[in-house]
Amino acid sequence: MFDSTITPRPILEMRHISKRFDATQALDDVSLALYPGEVHALIGENGAGKSTLIKIMTGVHQPDSGTILLDGAPVRIHNSQEAQTLGIAAIYQEPMVFPDLNVAENIFISHRNRGAFVNWGKLYRDAEAILAQLDVRLDVRMPARGLTLAAQQAVEIAKAISLNVRVLIMDEPTASLSAHEVNQLFRIIESLRSKGVAILFIGHRMEEVFRIADRITVLRDGRVISSRPRAAPEELDAQREVMIREMVGREVSEFFAKSAVPRGKLLMSVRNLGKEGVFSGITFDIYEGEVLGFAGLIGARRTDVGLALFGIEPADQGEILFEGRPVQIKNPDHATRLGIAYVTEDRRGLGLTLPMSIASNITLPSLRRYLSALGLVRRKEEQRTAETYRKRLMIRAPSVHLEVGKLSGGNQQKVMLSKWLNTHPRLLILDEPTRGIDVRAKAEVHHIISELAAQGLGIILISSDLPEVLAMSDRVLVMREGRQMGVFSRDEATQERIIMAAMGQEAITAMPSQSAIAEQAVQP
Amino acid sequence: MNELRRRFQPEQIRELVLIGLILALVLFFSTQIENYLHPRTFTRISTSVAVVAIVAVGQTLVILTRNIDLSVGSIVGFTAYVTGTILAANNDLHPSLVIGMAVAMGAAMGALNGVLVAYGRVPAIIVTLGTLAIYRTLLVEFSGAKSVLTSELPRWLVNLPPTNAFRIGAIDIRLLFLIALVVVIVFQFIVTYMAWGRRLYAIGSNPEAARVAGFPAQRIVFTAFLLSGALAGLAGFVFLARFGNITVVAGQGIELKSVAAAVVGGVNINGGIGSPFGAFLGALLIDVIDNSLIRWLAISEFWRDALLGLMILLAVATDTIVMNRLRKAWVRHELQTSTSGFSVEQGGARHAT
Repeated sequence: MFDSTITPRPILEMRHISKRFDATQALDDVSLALYPGEVHALIGENGAGKSTLIKIMTGVHQPDSGTILLDGAPVRIHNSQEAQTLGIAAIYQEPMVFPDLNVAENIFISHRNRGAFVNWGKLYRDAEAILAQLDVRLDVRMPARGLTLAAQQAVEIAKAISLNVRVLIMDEPTASLSAHEVNQLFRIIESLRSKGVAILFIGHRMEEVFRIADRITVLRDGRVISSRPRAAPEELDAQREVMIREMVGREVSEFFAKSAVPRGKLLMSVRNLGKEGVFSGITFDIYEGEVLGFAGLIGARRTDVGLALFGIEPADQGEILFEGRPVQIKNPDHATRLGIAYVTEDRRGLGLTLPMSIASNITLPSLRRYLSALGLVRRKEEQRTAETYRKRLMIRAPSVHLEVGKLSGGNQQKVMLSKWLNTHPRLLILDEPTRGIDVRAKAEVHHIISELAAQGLGIILISSDLPEVLAMSDRVLVMREGRQMGVFSRDEATQERIIMAAMGQEAITAMPSQSAIAEQAVQP
Repeated sequence: MNELRRRFQPEQIRELVLIGLILALVLFFSTQIENYLHPRTFTRISTSVAVVAIVAVGQTLVILTRNIDLSVGSIVGFTAYVTGTILAANNDLHPSLVIGMAVAMGAAMGALNGVLVAYGRVPAIIVTLGTLAIYRTLLVEFSGAKSVLTSELPRWLVNLPPTNAFRIGAIDIRLLFLIALVVVIVFQFIVTYMAWGRRLYAIGSNPEAARVAGFPAQRIVFTAFLLSGALAGLAGFVFLARFGNITVVAGQGIELKSVAAAVVGGVNINGGIGSPFGAFLGALLIDVIDNSLIRWLAISEFWRDALLGLMILLAVATDTIVMNRLRKAWVRHELQTSTSGFSVEQGGARHAT
């Protein structure tokens, strides 16, 4: 924890930093100090200026005004290479690894003091030594392709350490990690902290921020709203409430619980669904007006079940009854005609066509309905539809003709939802619908999910955010490594039970602190 | 199978398969064509592969960074013609000076490509398509539609193609082929054992990450283009030595052949995977088929391009299907043997493609 008696001067200090992009004041007189051995959390909605601040620290952008001090001396950081030389490194939500190079190469690729020639034996030994320092076990000869996101992050951290990093910036490192992997990451962070590294941790999940941070700074609209040490355990709840309010500037509860809806007709029955070598034995019913949560760690194969139900990677075992009739879902087109929609977790890669307008994205899967007799797209009609969704889902954009790529993550998510709602589905599969979006957008998405269920849609909610699954689901199906571990009703579903099922019995002993803290985050 | 997995990466298996394929083809043609196993067949194929192999090595460096160099055919033609013209006028120039001139000319043309791609951020396919046309036009303009003739060239150059470097049994290793071999070996060493070479793979593997990784990615891409140009210049010299008579269309189509050699040799068109040695094998395989089919079926000249195209498509198809399966199999194997806290997400391979 932050303690002024033993705290030397900060390693990195940002003083009165301002930065403007066209019409947007991204940063306005921001000051921030990073001390050795301190985890400094930075929280704020998307668009609050966190990314810009990081980019200035790593030399990607230059500030319009203000100074950066390193060990008390002003510096200018012109590019990421310079930042690295100064001992400043950043790790992003999507790890920046080189998939075709092996683990050891990834760690040392940026080193310039290892000579022009590669000594492979030494490279492997050095890589192993660094990973051992972090208590990470990985085969250093293995190509980075196929590593889990968590392992890729570990590789990036190892890389930073090997470069004698003094300031490590972590931009939402936990966004794509399962609870177990978050634990591993936090263990690594603790070890870095004890080595005297200054860590800037950008996070969206409040429980994680409060678990790891010594000091928390709230950024809103490019300004520092508050910066204070983490409160004592008994005051954490109060502090969290205050900070959430500071982030959004208005009262908002972090989790919006789904309102109770009377269960409708049976929509779909799935019996022993499986896909060779991927998952097996998936059995559940879903009713109209019901939200069925899919919980599990990364690698539990929940997304693969979603892909199978939508026909992208069809299942090869078991049966599916849709409204009582047996069906074999062979491709997405078929699934769409049945009334199934799948909203992907990969917004930028698979979900949206970023250079196209909001309106064009929304009508894309249902474009046939917008064709005139001549086969041309009726733009007016398209625009009318898009406007309807813009109002209904509160998409914040000046116009539906704006490029989707220019929107924030939360608004992109809403465009993706609109796109699939416009196919008029009966069953909506949502894969990580709130990943990487800010608190307000998250609450809005939760609100939308609840409303859709009230209208009689069946919803499958795949999410790694456990409090979200618990707050939103009528029932929770837990998977582990491709197998179904159980289905819990709302009353039965607790953090402990789900984590236990998701991790298998033996791992539960490692979890008490996580579940205890995560428990606090669940709003009744 | 486990032993196999431990010792070889999928890419190396591909190279072994290529070698096997070349041997199998030679065996097959030897039963179909009279006198096929005569040392002359080797001489013929090895001299004809020399030009393409040198260019393909440069092409490989560029493709590894997820770029492409379509201007190499024009660079080969330009350097062959200009070097030939200068040599025709000054018969007593020293050979090393002549080679240095050809390489420098190619390097300058490659450098222009590199500046535009690496620093100007113009897509490589546009830049090199442009310079393909520009370098060719410069050649036409420079030549005034005249040709370089063998009779004007100095004796040492005319005698170069039949010159032996050494003999292995009855097989002659021609000097020109040896030049190509040395180029392949040197660059194979560079991409395996030099930081610069490994970074080529890094850039092609994840250009976005390379931009922020803290090594000079732009300079490395620039150098790859420069070297591709320089090697095309060297190939221009070999081309001049081999043919003697150089017209303004010299080297046309080498861009297609070099890309084909690289891709058939296992260089992934999206960068990050492949090697100069693989590209050399690709060039060799293409040439064996090319040479032998003409003797076997007497197929027409015009079918050769179609054949080349077919082989590119086949290579890309096997790459996407077979190689991805192999890579997945390897990853899955790692998963089973790994006792680590971090595991391998099998789905990862899907996203990676």
